[in-house]
Amino acid sequence: MRVKLWGTRGSIPAPGPETVRYGGNTSCVGVELEDGSLLALDAGSGIRTLGLTLAEEPARLHILLTHLHLDHIMGLVFFAPAFRSQTELVIWGPASPEASLRDRIARYISAPLSPVEVRELPCDVSFRHCPETEWEIGSARIRAASVTHRGPTLGYRIDEGESSLTYIPDHEPALGADLDRLDEDWISGFALARETSLLIHDGQYADPEYPAHLGWGHSATSHALSFARRTGARRTVLFHHDPLHSDEFLDGLGERVRADWVALGGEEGAIELGAERTEYELPCQLAGSLARA
Amino acid sequence: MSQKPLELILARNLMSALSTPAFLVDEGGVLVFYNEAAGLLLGKQFEELGTVGAEEWGALFGPFDGSGEPIPYDELPLVTAVRSGRPAHAELTIRSTDGSDHAVEASAFPILTAHGSQGAIAVFWPQAENGTGAAA
Repeated sequence: MRVKLWGTRGSIPAPGPETVRYGGNTSCVGVELEDGSLLALDAGSGIRTLGLTLAEEPARLHILLTHLHLDHIMGLVFFAPAFRSQTELVIWGPASPEASLRDRIARYISAPLSPVEVRELPCDVSFRHCPETEWEIGSARIRAASVTHRGPTLGYRIDEGESSLTYIPDHEPALGADLDRLDEDWISGFALARETSLLIHDGQYADPEYPAHLGWGHSATSHALSFARRTGARRTVLFHHDPLHSDEFLDGLGERVRADWVALGGEEGAIELGAERTEYELPCQLAGSLARA
Repeated sequence: MSQKPLELILARNLMSALSTPAFLVDEGGVLVFYNEAAGLLLGKQFEELGTVGAEEWGALFGPFDGSGEPIPYDELPLVTAVRSGRPAHAELTIRSTDGSDHAVEASAFPILTAHGSQGAIAVFWPQAENGTGAAA
């Protein structure tokens, strides 16, 4: 399994000279499975650049949406393969008692917010509610589960052979809970992340910022570290950076996070802040697997 | 251990922050949590007791009706809520582990989700002076 971060920012794109290293695009992670199947986790603005790298030939692509907040779907109408008739696009997402996944997404892909309607997309697009049970895409087994955030929100686990990727970009598991004391079955998202090879997890706020954002659906870095430690994730990437956090700020935050992780007994080098276009090959080695395209 | 449904996790987190006594059962009626305020009422904190199976937890704390008769498990508000998917209310007496009785009003409501019932919550208040003690 090959994993590439195409957008690591949360809330809203934050382009500019102060965010060039960690990136300004919102949530999108590309996953290439051993059998060649292609998945995109979320469709934030980062999916635009992912789309530009895909060849113009018949393809079946899966987009797994965690939820429908704008920063996770805004790239859909700029995803080049969606405008090719030879593309089969399968969009997975959370069910809601309010309306179907297609109808909820169509609120964005329709006038006046969009120049095109869902029915006008040239590709063969289908929308599927994620099942409660595990299912298969290509050579991988996929599991989705509801996690603590605002509105219906999923986390995903992708298992392929001995490798696993867990993606929970918007998550506040410590809301009203002490992650260090709770039994593991009472921790939101625990089963998705248990001993995963690579955990991509919300780390939007530095600890001093969190009290002013309590209940907004995101984690302080110390909460993300506690979650990673409790679940036994082998490698963790903090994700969904706050749009106000510059490269310089994130460099400093990353240093503190790494020190805190080691102080918790974590393995050195097993935690980092996600940077756009970083690639991971799973199963990953702690040293030397990092590459920037 | 299996992962608890998110709705139960959120309910527990909320209950943990409340000073109102509250009970939480899962979809099978198993008592999976009660908060510190409920622990004070019952004379034993949840951490000391742990989860208690359906049909068993009712007998631990009474409960009794206004005549001092035990209320059948099937008629407890929490059981009604989790089984029927409807809210229920009753006045009842809970017996603490120290032998003291507490007349309370209990309101229970089901936790219904897109995937069906995940359990129910009951909250307790001290019974009003003119309470009848009749179980709903």
